[in-house]
Amino acid sequence: MDKKDKTLIGIAVLICVIICVLSPYIASGDPDGLEKSAEDSGLAEDFSVEEIKGIPESVFPDYAFANDPDNQVLQIVALVIGVIVTLVVGYGVAYVVKSRN
Amino acid sequence: MHIPDGFIPIAQCLVYYVILIVALYFSVKWARSNLDEKRIPLLAVLAAGIFAIMSMNMPIPFGTSGHMVGGALVAIVFLAPEAAVLVFTVVLLIQALIFGDGGITALGANVLNMAIIGGFVGLYTFKGLKGTIGNYPAAGIAAWLATVIAALACAIEMAIAGTFPANIGIPSMVLYHFFIGIIEAVLTVIVLAALDKFRPDLLAWNKSEGDA
Repeated sequence: MDKKDKTLIGIAVLICVIICVLSPYIASGDPDGLEKSAEDSGLAEDFSVEEIKGIPESVFPDYAFANDPDNQVLQIVALVIGVIVTLVVGYGVAYVVKSRN
Repeated sequence: MHIPDGFIPIAQCLVYYVILIVALYFSVKWARSNLDEKRIPLLAVLAAGIFAIMSMNMPIPFGTSGHMVGGALVAIVFLAPEAAVLVFTVVLLIQALIFGDGGITALGANVLNMAIIGGFVGLYTFKGLKGTIGNYPAAGIAAWLATVIAALACAIEMAIAGTFPANIGIPSMVLYHFFIGIIEAVLTVIVLAALDKFRPDLLAWNKSEGDA
């Protein structure tokens, strides 16, 4: 990786971190509109929604720490972790599938 | 527009998974001959950026979540919807597994909407318009349309699943994304312009202007 690519990654991570810092204040803490509108509309009983068994609880449900979901600082931490995980996994996947010639 | 677990019956999820597997086959094939070493960091940062913008979401009544997508952006940057499929499979998998945003069982449907439909609508709208109105206006309209059509597809899938009736779910998803799409269009143009200014070597349209 040359210097230009490191600059690209650095600037991109910086922009992502800025978005992560703003996001808890802009975004809804209840991002699944379907769940939210199901709860809000009182129509929930009518939906053919079934709980699917065997799906593990996510580590950071709704982009927050499970034990303190309203803590906005921790939400930012969760988001930044997500950005870094995505960057690393994205890099890894791209590396694995890249062209060989 | 992340569909959670439990809103699409498993049999229908399997159909979307088959589409996902076929799309991944073609995407890996595309990458093997087109994704050169120097564009690996670009793909990685687009994935990270899309993860970040998707976290700015809001609930939509009788729909799922409303947020910017980025499918058109990835497809236009690489001039390949296959790139969008790779990026969104990574992002949506991480969001489903670690953040509980979008379902594991609905992964196929979510990739279909945001990457396959979003990527194709975005790229081919861009290609169709750029000759007459220029790269940036074409990219803006492409990004807007990709967002709206992806939201429409999401609403149709949920109507088929029987989650919400089509006459309520479709207008709700489309109306919200009509406005989200405008922000998406502006951001898509900004990112493309920034890449063209600072890293023109990474934009596929600079490489293959003739056949693009």
